[in-house]
Amino acid sequence: MPVPALKAKDYKSDIKPVWCPGCGHFAVLSALTKAMAHLGLVKEKVAVVSGIGCSSRLPAYIDSYGFHGIHGRALAAASGLKAARPDLTVVVAGGDGDGFSIGGNHFLHACRRNMDITYIVMDNEVYGMTKGQASPTTRPTWSNSKMTPHGTGIPCFNPAAIALAAGAGFIARGYSGEPSEMPRLLVEAIEYPGFAFVQVLSGCVTFRPDQRSWKEEVHPFINDVPTEDRIKAAQIIQADDGMATGVIYASQYPVWQPDNQKETELSLLEQEFDL
Amino acid sequence: MSNDPAVVIDTVAEFLVHALELEEASGDQYDELADSMEIHNNIQVAELFRKLAGYSRQHAKEVQQRTEGMSLPKLTPWDFKWKCPSSPESSCMEEASYLMTITQAMEIALFNEIRGRDFYVQVAENTANEEVVKIAKEMAEEEGWHVEMLREWQTSLREERPLEDLDPPNMPE
Repeated sequence: MPVPALKAKDYKSDIKPVWCPGCGHFAVLSALTKAMAHLGLVKEKVAVVSGIGCSSRLPAYIDSYGFHGIHGRALAAASGLKAARPDLTVVVAGGDGDGFSIGGNHFLHACRRNMDITYIVMDNEVYGMTKGQASPTTRPTWSNSKMTPHGTGIPCFNPAAIALAAGAGFIARGYSGEPSEMPRLLVEAIEYPGFAFVQVLSGCVTFRPDQRSWKEEVHPFINDVPTEDRIKAAQIIQADDGMATGVIYASQYPVWQPDNQKETELSLLEQEFDL
Repeated sequence: MSNDPAVVIDTVAEFLVHALELEEASGDQYDELADSMEIHNNIQVAELFRKLAGYSRQHAKEVQQRTEGMSLPKLTPWDFKWKCPSSPESSCMEEASYLMTITQAMEIALFNEIRGRDFYVQVAENTANEEVVKIAKEMAEEEGWHVEMLREWQTSLREERPLEDLDPPNMPE
């Protein structure tokens, strides 16, 4: 008997999000479930892995396997999972602090390792869960935090440029205020054979109410995107104001996947470790 | 006058798929807002959004009934002919806040209902299919009734004091 196709809402769990009303992450959750429904993914063959932060709560709200890991280590945990279970669709979700600061090193090496993983960073340029401190993507003049009352004074991290330099083969940027377009980006990212990085501008209405203006600032890329040309991609990213949305770069690289090890008995492993 | 291209939908099946998505997305978003308002203990606003979710769900059910026995086109989320980045009755989510008053919530609801009504009006004005005109006008009329109802509620509301957060976001003093 054919299995009826699942709808987006079938991929949502019964747990209600505790995000603030108006949070952009709701749209990312909705887009991810729409993408999963469009691709017809089998729930039991999907794992959503996260670190720590508001956005990292996402696995709890998806009705698939999930792992809410430790701060900044989502990509490390996801890489291990994908190495052991290449048959799974592995999606990693997190925020800008988790991904670019605490987990910055893992981000670099996940890009160059190029495992078949989709990494969604919900970027709100702030540490929301700990009540509003500057993150790596916070602009240098943002002074609405007691921790940085005169702004950080430090140029902000450029996620797309870093991903490109570190070797990512798929780089895209979306905006939570474009809920009809977001699922398409995520479908393309999940279908991409390799490490797909999607930065989502996802405003924090509580600690960054100024981000409500993003809906007027977001725009399409003026150049032809996506490009397969790394040099052209670098030029596009450097010329960009950080508010253009779409797939920027998509090129094929060899996917890293270790050969499956022979299965062994637990008792043999214990002997090996002398337990 | 907007210079955007007109929304042209010329088959009943395609129109009903749009209407269903519009009403379901609206119901989902109002429920989502109601849930998060409850979590943040803004009960009065939660009740308003829950009531609006109920209206959208009722509309969705009525549209669903109209589709019975029909073969519907399968549209991806990016195939819908919205004139805005989201379904017309599910926009300005980012304007919500855990501290919003019932008056402010009513403004979001009114904005969305007007957009919903206008979508149906535009479809009726731009289609060549008489059956689509008929159904779209009926739906525009129902949405128009919601708009009027919300406006009446708005006028009956008293001026409120803004809600206060005793543990506010970490902003400079």
